[in-house]
Amino acid sequence: MVDYALNQAIAQHHERNQRWGFTWAIWTAILWGAWYVPGTALWYEHPYVDIAADNQSLRLAATAVMTWVHAITVLLFLLLWNGVLGKVRDYGRTMVRFRKISKWYALASLCGGPMAIFGSYMAMGFVGPVFAAITSLFYPVVGAAIATLWYKEKISRRAAIGMAIIIMGGVVIYGPGLFGEMDITHNNAWLGYLGGIMSAIGWGAEGAVAARAMDVTDPDVGIQCRFSFEVLFWGVLILPVLALFTDLPIVSLIVSTVTESKAMLWIVLAAACHAYCYTAFYKSFSLIGVGRGETVGNLYAVFALIFIAAFTLQLPQWYFLVGLVLTVLGSLVMFAEPAESVAQLRNIGPVEEGA
Amino acid sequence: MKLHQKGFLLVEISKVRSIWDSELIAKALKEYGLTGSYWVNSLCVALDELAAAGLIVRVGSKLDDGKQLAPGRLLFNWRLSEFGRSRMRDTGLLNYP
Repeated sequence: MVDYALNQAIAQHHERNQRWGFTWAIWTAILWGAWYVPGTALWYEHPYVDIAADNQSLRLAATAVMTWVHAITVLLFLLLWNGVLGKVRDYGRTMVRFRKISKWYALASLCGGPMAIFGSYMAMGFVGPVFAAITSLFYPVVGAAIATLWYKEKISRRAAIGMAIIIMGGVVIYGPGLFGEMDITHNNAWLGYLGGIMSAIGWGAEGAVAARAMDVTDPDVGIQCRFSFEVLFWGVLILPVLALFTDLPIVSLIVSTVTESKAMLWIVLAAACHAYCYTAFYKSFSLIGVGRGETVGNLYAVFALIFIAAFTLQLPQWYFLVGLVLTVLGSLVMFAEPAESVAQLRNIGPVEEGA
Repeated sequence: MKLHQKGFLLVEISKVRSIWDSELIAKALKEYGLTGSYWVNSLCVALDELAAAGLIVRVGSKLDDGKQLAPGRLLFNWRLSEFGRSRMRDTGLLNYP
């Protein structure tokens, strides 16, 4: 009787953890999808709306400025989050251990910030937004491969099938748009393809690299460390270099962004989505692993179209429904995985060794 | 400066052959001057994350008879895994302080 009650309690414990892990991953997808609304609207406000579409260098400089101001705002939202949770002191205790621990968050911020975001904008600018969206969909494959090879994260057959179905669903949603966009005769198209590869590798590697530090630190604290480093990379290194060694108007872009109330409103809304999207992202890694967390996060493709349709009243094409069915099916396949197999994410031995 | 909370939990687990979470949580609450069920649950989540990552393994479990954290609550006995020891070495926690 006692054994039965104990076994029941253990099974419920594993199920609860699995459910929380997938819940965090789905919140990642919802907030990531919601982020596209303010993230896109920002380009329609001053000073960004004044930049010509063919002025690539100025657009990239504007992207860098926008990303930096956005990262600072994200950091403030994360400070609020950790303040409410009582984890600000733990943030300080984690940040100071740079040589052995927080350096991994610094590397993760390089992968997810300058490499992935910059790569994504290159893909958008030199090939097109649909191509950029599709290449980003493949980042969980990179993340799962790195996590498996580097620190033996377990990817079960069922999880791998679920991943494949979700990615296929994303490709169905965006794929048909590619036919009108791909133009291999374009001289600079290779820069776009390079950017697409950078975004898939950058975001995929970010999860795997961050998980190395998260093994021994709190995920809420970890995401604040990661954005602290991103703010520093843009603000202390990249933007000053651009301002000093190019004739791009970095300072005036910064001033006109922070003094333009409509631009700042969209940045604040985008940052709120992004801050808690990333928090949910990192929390899911700790409970269900990098591969599963990133793949379920890929459902952003569905939520982005739903949010954009809700705000612009432009309904998606019919094939969106096929993609939606596939992504939901893939998620269910992954969620149906036994909770015990998700209770331990690495190949290091049995979960319970006996009393 | 004190060690971050997950680091503290790992260091305490590494000092003994195995330890019950109720005992470990009591040590952490004392170390950081914390009280209340929020922090007990928060530390339990941290232990679950360490277990999911394979740094610690469960070597025993029982239901609380009401003398530890709360009546009927599931309690675990934890031990550091070899992978956890290796990760502690990588992150400078094994020889802390």
